[in-house]
Amino acid sequence: MLNFFYNSNIFIWIEKLLSFINSIFFALLLVGLSFALIFSPPDYLQGDSVRIMYVHVPAAWIGLASFTLIAILSIFNFIFKIKNLKLITKSIAPIGLIFTCIAIVTGSIWGRPTWGTFWAWDARITSMLVLALFYVIFIAVHKLVSEEDNANKISSIVAITGLINIPIIKYSVLWWNTLHQPASIKITGSSTIHSSMLTPLLLMFFVLLMYCALIFLMKYKTEIIRIKKKNLKRL
Amino acid sequence: MIKDLILMNGYGVFVWSSFIITFLACGVFYYKTRKTLKKYEKEFAKEIEELSTEKKKIVLENSKIASKILSSYNKSI
Repeated sequence: MLNFFYNSNIFIWIEKLLSFINSIFFALLLVGLSFALIFSPPDYLQGDSVRIMYVHVPAAWIGLASFTLIAILSIFNFIFKIKNLKLITKSIAPIGLIFTCIAIVTGSIWGRPTWGTFWAWDARITSMLVLALFYVIFIAVHKLVSEEDNANKISSIVAITGLINIPIIKYSVLWWNTLHQPASIKITGSSTIHSSMLTPLLLMFFVLLMYCALIFLMKYKTEIIRIKKKNLKRL
Repeated sequence: MIKDLILMNGYGVFVWSSFIITFLACGVFYYKTRKTLKKYEKEFAKEIEELSTEKKKIVLENSKIASKILSSYNKSI
């Protein structure tokens, strides 16, 4: 069972997964885009501008989920010192950053027709910006600190500290008066979004999740090769 | 119908710019990640090729990853 966690076995699985995702990705993307841009209805209040939701919301979910995962894995890394966890967190961070930035930019574009402004120092938007900063610091630590153990320690501290920001982002719309609307989709309790909009939203989320898996696997593979390269030099 | 799809009742510029920015960012990020991976694969394969016959044999016998990368690199050239 533990054999599976050897880098060589992980590497073979990565190759298989990469080719599988590559084979289905464009078909999924086409279906997702068709639903998001053509088949889903316009909102009764926001009109067609609501279609921005199909990239904005999944991007924000991925940005938040990635950081939560990084922070949880960093805690595990502190306790159990598992080498693979470092590689995983390092590979997830750039994905989280890119999707947090996409959420901020598309949210800003959505704000113009909805609120009449591209930017407001609103609690939700500001806390998302803080999340992006945590990602930047996390990645910068890995780039700037040359000693790998120190880089891992510092980046883990950054991730665990940044975890405080996650509930702030989630509940900012309830704790403060913000321009941002409260959540329409709830894991517990009934959602206030119609199924004709929920379906394309979940479909686009799945498409972007597949994209994340693709990037993550490529980054993880790069990290494994980097380690192997280092070992080769020791010969 | 195509005109409606582009204009989206006046919201087209906001909707399309959001989608274009998203997919452009994703496309560039994918390209850069793939390029880095290929660069590392190429460098690693070259380093194995440059090893002495004895060392190369040891590496290929002990590392599935090394033999896999080397064989895919040899196929690509």
